[in-house]
Amino acid sequence: MRKALLFVFGFYFLLVPDVHAMHVSEGILPWHWAIFWYALSAPFIALGLYKLKAAAGGDMAFKPLVGLVTALVFIISSMPVPVPVVGSTSHPCGTAMSAILLGPSISVIVAACALLIQALFLSHGGVSTLGANIFSMGVMGSFTGYLAFRLLRAARVNMVACAFAAGLCADWATYFTTSVELASGIRGDGPFLPLLLKIAAAFVPTQVPLGILEGAITAGMISLLLRRRPDLLVKMHILKQEEAAR
Amino acid sequence: MTAILSEMPGRDHILKRVDGRLKILLAAAILVLVVASKGFLLPLSLVTAMIIMCIYLRIPARTWSLRFSEPLALVLVLILIKLFFSGQEPLFYLSLGGMKITGYKDGLLDGLAMAARIGGALSVVSILSFTTPFTHIISALSWLKIPKGIIETLMFAYRYIFLLSDEAIVIYCAQKNRLGYSNLRRGLSSFGMLAGSLTLKALEHSQMTASAMTRRGYDGNLPMMRHRPFRAREVFGSALFLTAVVFLWAI
Repeated sequence: MRKALLFVFGFYFLLVPDVHAMHVSEGILPWHWAIFWYALSAPFIALGLYKLKAAAGGDMAFKPLVGLVTALVFIISSMPVPVPVVGSTSHPCGTAMSAILLGPSISVIVAACALLIQALFLSHGGVSTLGANIFSMGVMGSFTGYLAFRLLRAARVNMVACAFAAGLCADWATYFTTSVELASGIRGDGPFLPLLLKIAAAFVPTQVPLGILEGAITAGMISLLLRRRPDLLVKMHILKQEEAAR
Repeated sequence: MTAILSEMPGRDHILKRVDGRLKILLAAAILVLVVASKGFLLPLSLVTAMIIMCIYLRIPARTWSLRFSEPLALVLVLILIKLFFSGQEPLFYLSLGGMKITGYKDGLLDGLAMAARIGGALSVVSILSFTTPFTHIISALSWLKIPKGIIETLMFAYRYIFLLSDEAIVIYCAQKNRLGYSNLRRGLSSFGMLAGSLTLKALEHSQMTASAMTRRGYDGNLPMMRHRPFRAREVFGSALFLTAVVFLWAI
């Protein structure tokens, strides 16, 4: 039996590093939980669509920009890091970056589109679990990252540090929400809290460094934009004109 | 990643010619049934159908092994979690390094049911994406009144995934050649630079794209593919197939 177990775990570890990212997998949530997460995400999607329409009305380049940022989030959130105990792989999310650039509401649309393409064509996440994934990565990731960025900016913290904190908070908020979704979906008749703690703890070894990586990605992006194209940051209302001139 | 995206769905076949709207509606209905199913019959039938489909479509082994290896790993781990950490009725005892572990029968059954559901749901979505080009999916979603903002973002994103992926590979290789990922600190910094460069490219491309599209008559609205009327044969076939699936679900 021990050999059989070793074989199974060995097979798993051999297998996982060769594959891409996983959000909450297709079919894992019972139907009532799947509907619940769709319903919870719906108002945020509606708000995002409203903001997108308003922003695209005055700027013809805005829709292509949102599409490009979606492609970027798709690429970043397809980078795999295996999480053995949970049976999933983890990944940077990229939503902090899209929330800083486009605002958190439009970032929800960005995440929804990236997740839909991944679900349809890469089997990362799923269509039945799309609501759950939009809520964890799109809503929680975007709003937490954006809030962290804005709060620290208001406290006059250096912009690159603000971006780092935004990436870190967005990533950890996403994975805590994913733990809640997984625990509620797979617990069956078992107690919720112990399972939530187990799943959240299982994410810690990958998510602590991944959060730092996500922070570094976001900080790197802002740092590069500050050096090369501060005008773009001014245009996107991230930087004031007088700050850019300094 | 982009190889997987672009390889599907390759050659012409009978399912590719079926109306995308019907395929999406049918897939959505079957997905609901799979997620709501308690037994094994429906999910396992769908997994079998998907395997047959992969063979019939001659999908390269690399493509589908990449696509299904992660869900397969997830299924294995879920079964183990359920077997050892949930259930009441002991099935066997195991001694590992002085620790006594119990495997539960009801936990195993729960795990297998969950695994079957994942496999079935994944099969439905995979068959849809193996047999339907992205443009047909977008067009069908538009017919289904999915908001225009989402449709247009999907179209732009799908186009630019290939472009940005290529640029990411070029930048990554250039960084590697300059020892960019030689230690953790440089790795983090290089990765940040990579993301930053891609963001800059994205911002610049968006300006160029908008300008090029405006010159070609873009007024903020993207044209959609026109749908032909539904064919009675396809509608009847879909209804028949759905009835068979409902029958399997009810057993």
